Amino acid sequence: MSDTSMDLFVGLSAVLTGVDKTMLAPGLDPINIKKTYFDYAQNKAGATFQQLLNIYQQNQSLPAAQIGDIILNKSGDDVRYLARSVMLMWYLGSWYDPADLKKYNGTNPPTDPVPAFAVISSAAYTNGWSWNVAQAHPMGYSNFQYGYWSKLPPSLQDFIGGGS
Amino acid sequence: MSAAQSNSFDVVIVGAGVSGAMIAKQLGLAGKKVLILESGAGLPPNINDFVERFYTALAKVPEIPYTPDLFTPPGTFNLQDPTLMNAPRPSVLTLGSNWKDPKQSYLIQEGPLAFGSTYERVAGGTMRHWLGTSLRFVPNDFRMQSQYQQLVDWPFGYSQLEPWYGEAEKEIGVSANAADQAYLGITFPNGYKYPMNPIVPSLVDDAVSKGVNGTNFKGTPLTVTGTPAGRNSQPYQNRRVCAGNTNCIPICPIQAKYDPSVTLEQALNTGNVQIWPKTVASEVVVDGSGRVSEIKYLQYQEPGGAQTGSGSVTAKVFVIAAHAIETPKLLLMSTNGGRTPKGVANFSGQMGKNLMDHPLYLAWALMPKPVFGYRGPLATSGIESTRDGGFRKERAAFRIEIGNEGWNFPINDPYTTTVDFINGINQSGLNPIGGGQPQALFGPGLVNSLNDRLTRQFRLGFLVEQSPDSKNCVTLAAERDHLNLQRPKIQYDISPYSRAGLGAAVEAADQIFTQLKAQQFTTDPAPDDPSALEVPVNGKPKRIKFFGSGHIVGTYCMGTTKGNSVVNSEQRSWDHPNLFLVGSGVFPTVATGNPTLTIAALSLWAAQTIKKDLA
Repeated sequence: MSDTSMDLFVGLSAVLTGVDKTMLAPGLDPINIKKTYFDYAQNKAGATFQQLLNIYQQNQSLPAAQIGDIILNKSGDDVRYLARSVMLMWYLGSWYDPADLKKYNGTNPPTDPVPAFAVISSAAYTNGWSWNVAQAHPMGYSNFQYGYWSKLPPSLQDFIGGGS
Repeated sequence: MSAAQSNSFDVVIVGAGVSGAMIAKQLGLAGKKVLILESGAGLPPNINDFVERFYTALAKVPEIPYTPDLFTPPGTFNLQDPTLMNAPRPSVLTLGSNWKDPKQSYLIQEGPLAFGSTYERVAGGTMRHWLGTSLRFVPNDFRMQSQYQQLVDWPFGYSQLEPWYGEAEKEIGVSANAADQAYLGITFPNGYKYPMNPIVPSLVDDAVSKGVNGTNFKGTPLTVTGTPAGRNSQPYQNRRVCAGNTNCIPICPIQAKYDPSVTLEQALNTGNVQIWPKTVASEVVVDGSGRVSEIKYLQYQEPGGAQTGSGSVTAKVFVIAAHAIETPKLLLMSTNGGRTPKGVANFSGQMGKNLMDHPLYLAWALMPKPVFGYRGPLATSGIESTRDGGFRKERAAFRIEIGNEGWNFPINDPYTTTVDFINGINQSGLNPIGGGQPQALFGPGLVNSLNDRLTRQFRLGFLVEQSPDSKNCVTLAAERDHLNLQRPKIQYDISPYSRAGLGAAVEAADQIFTQLKAQQFTTDPAPDDPSALEVPVNGKPKRIKFFGSGHIVGTYCMGTTKGNSVVNSEQRSWDHPNLFLVGSGVFPTVATGNPTLTIAALSLWAAQTIKKDLA
């Protein structure tokens, strides 16, 4: 993995998640969850993952909305569902297999709740973005202080950064 | 245990949960030699492993952090086979199509409805994953028969238990304000102060308060009240202040919420108390004079390993504190070679009968504006004004718990809604609201849609009083665990009186959501859901889902005569004077509050009685 590949992954992730790059990959980043996710996706879907990064690299000068549209709507099912798996890693700290996501998105979806294939790690769970997008914190992992729940939370922008 | 270890004590207690811990501490402080037999693992040096297991678990259910792992191998979804476990326990993950599969469900469920509550077999007990709700029962909870000609009376009233409520609040460390809690006849001594100031309410509480305070449901006032909480609003017992981790169930990661490991540590520190973990009581032995003389046990080292030992312990007094399913199981198993064919402490034939819970009706909605759930303790307020009234002549009462965790309980959010918006499906009902083509979003559209939905979610839980009914019972199953001990068989149904209470809960939810201008999303149960039943709603039958509240009550009820009950008002067996049965199993009714504070109060009362016996 080169720095360039990681830069591409972070840029791609910001486009897909809507969370600012500086929040996904802060300058001082001891947890380095981006590397955990990069390696996980590389391991699970090497060739398609490379294809996803390439598509981002070729289109990164375009507006984010256009890049997302190309990845999710104009690059085929393999890329689309892997991109969704990457988004779910960031949001929920879990790996949802692209094949499962495709199955649930089809014309005869299973009726059971979508299964998580794996919780990637405890650090992945405690860095899940769904809770931050709710202006909250992962359940069981609060860095707030007593009584914060009786006051309005910081703004959404404070949680997700300045936009991507 | 080593051969050098004594097997004779002043008191032997079965079970290291809240009751066992509180009694052991009091007796240890009084200089009595106490042994606790714990069927599961002992006290760990810290809770780090429990928290790590929670973080990495696929299914974050109440029992998931605790030992042993529910799954084999860990990290998969393959439930342990209880046949192969030495101290198996139930799980809410066996309440689906697998509810009658003895290789999945530890409890042998006979129905007609699924019994939905679970318990732990580990030092600290089921209170490891309690919510922290520390309500006192209201006076009329103790006199349902004389006041409303329904259910049964307790053998004593609120005023006799009141001092012990105070002691229990001190031991647990309850945060509340006495003036707020003095409703429906609840009284306090002059100048009484809870150990800590009340936990501050959430923004969800504020929104519900604004919408309902001053209104009524069919003549019963609706008033939001702060919930007395066994969690710290200030430092207490060398434990930290609550940081609002929104995870009281299954585990508070900073132990700002009390759990019985606190009291167990204090009991051990007296120097007079021992715990033998992984030691399963297998028979209570009665001598010719009718006194309990010893308890036999089996030991193991690994949760699924071979038995490693056996033996017996003697004492002057014995206390069974193994919760409301394992306690009757042990006593029913104790046939003493045919000398006690109905089991021990069962002259009345009532052992195992009158199993109760608070069947919980869960209703969820979106507020018109953000209320910012997923923050603070799981619940900080409730509507308690519905716990008593003349309506109890006709239908069961309930309290209403206001949830601070969005739709986590109802639909496992934020998981479900996040997957919906990323994968373009609609299992939450929120993508889109009202039906239509689901959207698959990314970027700012994803952020804004998720933020809008998640910040407006809230839920209400209605905990309904269940009637005691001798047909709802724990008996012995033919199926056995890995130590070859019989497993509990459960028969469970819900009476017309309690179904009427559930129906009223549905009506109250509809009314409250309307008052709040909230859009309701409560779903109907699946056709094959074993936890679904018909209840009367506005005069018509409606099929709803109920949940267990984790409030396992009854099965060795206290009463007024040897013929109508298992224990007397002292929680002493009518049949065996040196045998005490403690915990929520003694409750004659489940009443209208979460049971833990009353369990603790009764246990402290029993400890005083035992001390007098030993004086």
